[in-house]
Amino acid sequence: MRISRTLLSPPALAGALVAIVAGLLVLYPVFYLLQAALNVGDPEARPPTEFGLDNFAGLLNYPQIIINTLTVSVAATVMALVFGFLMAWILTRTNVPGRRFFEQAMVVPYYLTPLLGALAWSLLGTPESGFLNQVYRALGGSGYLININSAYGIAWVMALFEGSVAFVMIGAVMKSMDPALEEASQVMGASRWRTMLRVTLPLVLPGVLGAAIFVFAEMLGSFAAALVLGLPDRYYVVTTAIYQLTQQYPPKIPLAAAMGTSLFVVMFVTLFIYRRIITAGSYVTITGKAFRPRVNDVGRLKYLLLAACVFYLLCSVVLPLLTLLYASIQNISTAFPAASNFTLAHFRTAFTMNAATTALGNSLWLGFWTATLGVTLMGLISWIIYRSKLPGSSIIEYIVMFPQSVPRLIFAFGMMWAWLIFPIPIYGTLWLLLIAYLTVFLPLGVRTISGVMLQIDKSLEECAQMCGAGWGYRIRTVTVPLLWPGLVAAWLLLFVASIRELGASILLMGPHSKVITPSIVESWFASSTELTAALALIQTAVVAIAVSILLAVTRRATAHITD
Amino acid sequence: MSRNITRRHVLAAGAALGATAFAAPHVSAQGAKKATKVHDFETYADVAKAEQEGGLVFYCHENEAGTAAIMEGFGKDFPKIKTSYVRAQTGALYNKILSERSAGRFDVDVLQLSDVAPAVDFEKRGGYELYSGPYMDAYKKDYLSAKPGAYFWTGVTFAGLAYNKNKVTGADIPKTYKDINNPRFRNKISCKISASGVQYVQWYLLRQMYGDDFWKEFAKQRPRAFDSRVQLYDRLAKGDDDMTALAEYSAYILYKSRGAEVEFVAPPEGLVATPLIVGAVNKAPHPEAAKLFVDWAMSPRGQKYYQDHPNLYYGSVTNDPPPMPTGQKLSAYKLIFPTDWDDYGKQREVFNKEWNAMLGL
Repeated sequence: MRISRTLLSPPALAGALVAIVAGLLVLYPVFYLLQAALNVGDPEARPPTEFGLDNFAGLLNYPQIIINTLTVSVAATVMALVFGFLMAWILTRTNVPGRRFFEQAMVVPYYLTPLLGALAWSLLGTPESGFLNQVYRALGGSGYLININSAYGIAWVMALFEGSVAFVMIGAVMKSMDPALEEASQVMGASRWRTMLRVTLPLVLPGVLGAAIFVFAEMLGSFAAALVLGLPDRYYVVTTAIYQLTQQYPPKIPLAAAMGTSLFVVMFVTLFIYRRIITAGSYVTITGKAFRPRVNDVGRLKYLLLAACVFYLLCSVVLPLLTLLYASIQNISTAFPAASNFTLAHFRTAFTMNAATTALGNSLWLGFWTATLGVTLMGLISWIIYRSKLPGSSIIEYIVMFPQSVPRLIFAFGMMWAWLIFPIPIYGTLWLLLIAYLTVFLPLGVRTISGVMLQIDKSLEECAQMCGAGWGYRIRTVTVPLLWPGLVAAWLLLFVASIRELGASILLMGPHSKVITPSIVESWFASSTELTAALALIQTAVVAIAVSILLAVTRRATAHITD
Repeated sequence: MSRNITRRHVLAAGAALGATAFAAPHVSAQGAKKATKVHDFETYADVAKAEQEGGLVFYCHENEAGTAAIMEGFGKDFPKIKTSYVRAQTGALYNKILSERSAGRFDVDVLQLSDVAPAVDFEKRGGYELYSGPYMDAYKKDYLSAKPGAYFWTGVTFAGLAYNKNKVTGADIPKTYKDINNPRFRNKISCKISASGVQYVQWYLLRQMYGDDFWKEFAKQRPRAFDSRVQLYDRLAKGDDDMTALAEYSAYILYKSRGAEVEFVAPPEGLVATPLIVGAVNKAPHPEAAKLFVDWAMSPRGQKYYQDHPNLYYGSVTNDPPPMPTGQKLSAYKLIFPTDWDDYGKQREVFNKEWNAMLGL
């Protein structure tokens, strides 16, 4: 009797509904993806007529690609976490000058996108034509100064632009941490560095690990930087290999599906380790005791930390934007300006293309709804995973991580097959892209929100329950306000992620549902670097305006709630 | 997808062929219907009905700018027909349309591909609408589908060699295809990826001319491969590569106009060429608009548009083509095509495997 009452309670019903939606979003296309990976008969037969493991066995023919993928992903993850953690610590825990400005500026690399970063760094660091290398040779150097097309060049660019995701995720956790714990450490005589390493770092471990998993998975599935920077040096990773296998005629989709789904094994192991660490310790820093985030005076050290902030933003924002701006007003981009090479034609062309009008409008619409619906859905999923006592709730975490572990380019095939035969005709419309975005960004939203949720003491909700508050009231008046920084961070991340989405959109766009980033990549493929630079700058400007407005609105809302 | 051929179909086809043979040139094989003149071209499509349908959905392999240009050209002539398109590389595009049709979705009116092999396959699957427009006689049999009316060659893209004038001088300037294996170009030469139709044609033809070892030698050059002709010329113009082994003429015109220091070489062996294949698909949501588009694209009006637009520059293979933007007709160039399209189709897997392995994939 008690069991049935528990299962029929509002939280259980809401949880079950959310779990079903998450399951439908992920497992439904995954079924088709696995079907394709196991298809050893006619690759174009649907449903397949013969099943086997030959496609997985075929992966042994590509050891170098697996090695390349892991090399780039691990190197980029380590770099991104170092950037993200250091910047989060500097900007949330120290009195570095211009903190507010830097905090806002740190989001910029994320919405500049790895694609834009890769394009800019390609112009800067290609051995022969890279601006930095040309200047170096003009000053008397020989050969080249940097080679951005190497494995570490690719990792550097990926880390620069994913570092801000790590920053947002870790920063949200740090903001939610009671500074009294650090103060206590310093009162006991620990230095600032020792406090950071022995108190701050362990307390933000869920956020750091969550960011690590998310960033690592993002790197495994990263496409744009590897495409722009890797191909010129014949450096293939899984995503660029999949791209080639699916674009050629006849496309090798079963092999590509096997390649994509095999990454899930890597992700599964990583997530398993994460859960073991998380369940082994307590990371609660938000209790019933009130606190306000405070910063430490770090003395003269603040100038060194300021230099670190400036360097990061210089490499990830200023230099790439200036480079693209310069390239976009040249006939053929070269390091040294010449009046005859100057033109505004690329901007004129960009503004007349669909990419700058319809596609950008569609992207903004999708960004808003993905973020809004996503935060609600993903917040509830996080709550189910870490707060509810629903049977099998931990399995949901593995399910929601699946889209992150499979390159979106290949996951999109599963979504295409799944939603093509769905009785409601959404295929080829913006609604399909909305569903696709909600699916592929589940890990991003859940990781961001969960990192903060793990820090909130369960007893706060239990206390409200003891006082007679119903489930909905508890969520609205206790959990959501405490989660607010994480929810705002998740909203912004989802909004920006949707606008810069590439892998799934390429395949799922219909004739009336074009979005911006594939158009930019298309321009890079088939128009010119200079026109691409102009398009990327227009996209950046529009997103920057949208994010500024949204930030202003959410800041007001945050102030209201935290007061 | 496959259609059962019944006795009735055969009789109907026979009757239609008979009608074509005896009818006046401007009478449709579709139903002894008279051609309508629109602008300066003729069509058997019902133009009023096409405008009533109000839309045209185009699936195209061409790059975004080129695809948009084709739709813009047709849309300007028929403003009441709202055009839309999906573009992707031929392999991905073909897989998409097959997946859609296997799920019972028929959203496409016209398909343009850059490779004969998938077009032949699609024809075998009965995917094309058999429509013989008024301009069928303007094309040699070689440039039409085996079953008349399935598809036609709306143009060709052709390629030779190109080099950076500042980097390559004197005796190093390439003259024939054999020069792509000159060790001087090791790590300094580019080509296209295996998804490219014209790259496949080049591999196929030069392998026939010079044998397997030719491409094994080329692999030692450690070439860099890219998706599009624009990327190849972009790198050439900036000096990242000294030479490209697959230089499409259309991109050369574009880069010359931008002031790039690149030079085109037409090897004496001939310029490797591949067609762009256009056909109306069956069960199209806008069947009359699809026929109208096919006639527009086949007509001198559409052919001139395809040939002159800076994002296209595709040479016309009609019997009497207009001159290209360079002032020369396509016939001025020595083009080489595969002669046995069946064999060409069969070698595709070999090419994909060898080419991908050469590029480190």
